[in-house]
Amino acid sequence: MLKSKRAEYFAAAVLMAPFVVIYGVLFVYPTIKMVELSFTNAPLIGPGKWVGLDNYWRLATERLFPTAVWNTIYFVLLSALPSTLLALVVALGVNRLKGWAQSVALAAFFLPYILPVSVVYRIWDWMFDANFGIAQYAIAPLDGGQHLSVFRTIPLFMPMVAVVTIWWLLGFNVLLFVSGLRNISTEIYEAAELDGASRWAQFKRITWPLIWPVTVLVLTIQLILQFKIFDQVYLFTQGGYRVDSTMVMVQYIYREAFQLNKGGLAASASVVLFVLIAVMSVLQFQLLRARAQR
Amino acid sequence: MTDTALVSDAPPPAARPLVRLRQLDLFGAVVTLATLAGAVVWAFPLYWGLVTTFKPETEIVQPGVHLWPQNFTFENYAHVLMQTKIGLWYVNSLVTSGAVTVIVVVMAAAAGYAISQLEFPGRRVFWAMILASFMVPIPALIVNHFVLMSQFGWINTLQGVVAPQLIAPVTVIIYKQFFDSVPKDFREAAVMDGANDFQLLFRIYLPMNWGITTALAIITFIGAWNLFLWPFLAVSSEEKLNVAVGITQVHDAFGVQYGRDLAVAMLAALPVAIVYLIFQRRVTQAIMLSAGIKG
Amino acid sequence: MSAIPGNKGGAAAPHVELRRVTKRYGVVTAINDLTLTVEKGSFTALLGPSGCGKSTLLRMIAGLERISAGQCFLDGVDVTDVAPAKRRIAMVFQSYALYPHMTTRQNIAFSLSLAGASRKEQDERTHEVARILQLEDYLDRRPAELSGGQRQRVAIGRALVRHPEVFLFDEPLSNLDAKLRVQMRLELAKLHATLHATMIYVTHDQTEAMTLADKIVVLDRGRVAQVGSPLELYNRPANKFVAAFIGSPSMNFLPVGLTAVEGGIATVALPGGRTARVRVGGAPAKAVATAELGVRPEHLSLVVADDANAALRGEVAIVEHLGNLTLLYVDTPAGQVIVEGPGNVSVRSGDTVGLSLREANARLFGADGASL
Repeated sequence: MLKSKRAEYFAAAVLMAPFVVIYGVLFVYPTIKMVELSFTNAPLIGPGKWVGLDNYWRLATERLFPTAVWNTIYFVLLSALPSTLLALVVALGVNRLKGWAQSVALAAFFLPYILPVSVVYRIWDWMFDANFGIAQYAIAPLDGGQHLSVFRTIPLFMPMVAVVTIWWLLGFNVLLFVSGLRNISTEIYEAAELDGASRWAQFKRITWPLIWPVTVLVLTIQLILQFKIFDQVYLFTQGGYRVDSTMVMVQYIYREAFQLNKGGLAASASVVLFVLIAVMSVLQFQLLRARAQR
Repeated sequence: MTDTALVSDAPPPAARPLVRLRQLDLFGAVVTLATLAGAVVWAFPLYWGLVTTFKPETEIVQPGVHLWPQNFTFENYAHVLMQTKIGLWYVNSLVTSGAVTVIVVVMAAAAGYAISQLEFPGRRVFWAMILASFMVPIPALIVNHFVLMSQFGWINTLQGVVAPQLIAPVTVIIYKQFFDSVPKDFREAAVMDGANDFQLLFRIYLPMNWGITTALAIITFIGAWNLFLWPFLAVSSEEKLNVAVGITQVHDAFGVQYGRDLAVAMLAALPVAIVYLIFQRRVTQAIMLSAGIKG
Repeated sequence: MSAIPGNKGGAAAPHVELRRVTKRYGVVTAINDLTLTVEKGSFTALLGPSGCGKSTLLRMIAGLERISAGQCFLDGVDVTDVAPAKRRIAMVFQSYALYPHMTTRQNIAFSLSLAGASRKEQDERTHEVARILQLEDYLDRRPAELSGGQRQRVAIGRALVRHPEVFLFDEPLSNLDAKLRVQMRLELAKLHATLHATMIYVTHDQTEAMTLADKIVVLDRGRVAQVGSPLELYNRPANKFVAAFIGSPSMNFLPVGLTAVEGGIATVALPGGRTARVRVGGAPAKAVATAELGVRPEHLSLVVADDANAALRGEVAIVEHLGNLTLLYVDTPAGQVIVEGPGNVSVRSGDTVGLSLREANARLFGADGASL
């Protein structure tokens, strides 16, 4: 099209300006500073001395950071895969429903997803309350009639936080699966029906191959998301003791930076988290690209 | 095949599947019931939390399960509305979430338009940068966001809460994709009518994608309203808290008062729940879009 | 209609002029060294098969495509580098490009509102256009609530409201069904008659071009194949391409031998032994020994097989009864030819028939396709 280059550049400059300023100041600059900070012994606010790889060495050799990494991975395993599979099962069920029943069921599964994490925490803290929680009616018989403070019992802590997280976020996965299932034409099923395919055969030969890409997508989204776990773990250990044994990575960063005033060490932990998630995101991006090209 | 079916007197070929269909109905009924039961189980904690807020504290700590309050009361709500700063937190949440939404949508639409429709040096670099920032975990930047905000003197201010939330690469990506798919006839027709790029964006491209803008605005607003970690770090005084963080501070003030704790939580959830129930379709659309599914 | 300016005189002053323009896309040349003049107040059709460059040409006049080489003049002013909006040209797109989020009223008034016209002026001009196009009852509907014909009219209205000097139409009727197309064709003709504005109309449909235009430009692979009035193109095609493109069913081409040329009359030997005498222009090269004789189906008529006037004989392969006329596909020594007969022809496939040709309407083409 005929237009003056100058007018086009001017428009582009004006339209890109907010983006460039915001990304430069709030994304590029902090990212560079983060890497720089990770090589110093600076406190949270203020200058520090260059210490080379000391911080990274400390992360690797001190007990707490490896624990935090392990706890994070443990939590990801407990939440990402189960929530993906459960969501597929729920979506298959919801997809069979018709009309308002489907809308209501979908809303029931989805509503928790839009709640603030602190509300989710409040609800489940009350459900499992050691004295008056309704869940104690189910737990006490298993514990020899004794009420059990599940969030204060270390072996139960991560699994319980995972359960709450699954309850909170399942709706998102269900939504993606339901839309994937809706994209499968009913004619394929009718044709399979006429071919005499059993229900199991239909699932194995039609539904699963066609829903597999969505499953991969959901799983990678969950993996990346759950790696950033902080809020729930923080809230459920709030006011508690022995925080160290349930520490996760972001919580470690929070502790070093904001409680112990070790900016340099926190930054190096951030870099580790950054790299881990960047690697997973690249994998996810490749998967999305592969999907888009199909 | 149709010819034979038209002239044949033989029983219709559906006879065999029909028998199976009846068997499947039983299976289907079981699945349907299980799904509905699952939905009830899923909704129960929410219901239980809600119904508890309408019980007096003495009834809450009574043994036994009562699905409905024996003495229905608004006392818990009245108390938290009077005794906590939740009103102020609402305003803070509204202001910060509103600001985040407006800035993110305008910035993303403008950048998405420029990258989609204009030729300028650095276009590819910017696009690559946006795709790259997609994979940055924002929680990894908290330390340096804090340092930066303190350099600005924005710690414990609302603009300090807003600023780091403005990195929204997905929104730019979605806008670019939608602007890419606007047929070029619209652009050419408007250019012949004398429109410049700003008029094209604000009078043609944005209004034509109004649904996407609504969806993105709603999901951005909900996300900002619910955000916990950053406001939790950036704000130290009770007057500047947002609702999502503020309600976790109530606990300490009351000691254990289950009804009040839950009432304040329900108040925090109310706006997003209402927004979701009104704009269900837009919310689900936005979620699909942000997951990379164009729907 | 006086509110809409236009040249009422129909004088033949050049209004749009392309001088030796070329358009290249990378290595592909879409338009090659093309020169074209469009007179003020004329209705010019750019006609050709898809890919011939007709839309590119229109878009170059509009300013939507940059011209690779050459110049474009409007009213004698060089506008080669002038932005589309500054050319006082309006265009109706094939897809209409009606803004889906605007009502008819807003769509029509869009250019005025961009230009900062007062609300009163916008209203007046929108209503004036709506009256001309009978859109008054649909002003507050959105495009999705309009029928195909109504959308088409809104698209025209959007062009009309700007009081442009030149209207460009890019296959405007191709999205309509056959019946509506005929109706809109008549309305366009009426519009041109009332506005006297210069209109340039791109189409691949020869009927549209023949019925609407007073001048047709036939394009072939980025070049002008012929410019002329509809009847000139039909009666005196300059080359085989135009001859084949204009007319339906298409012209028959018979391989012939050239035996003598004398006084503007060529004698040719037809396959099967007969001869025919055809008028040729000027003095065809003596060296030409073989040529093709172009005969339209309507210029062949059925005679009995052994008729003395039969130029060709053949066996009827297929008979198509169209009611008012009959199309016959006849296998002759010159290949299969199409013959248009009256509606009540009783021959059947397998019959042997003779064909006489109206020599006055036949055209002779040389090996390079040019008319002799």
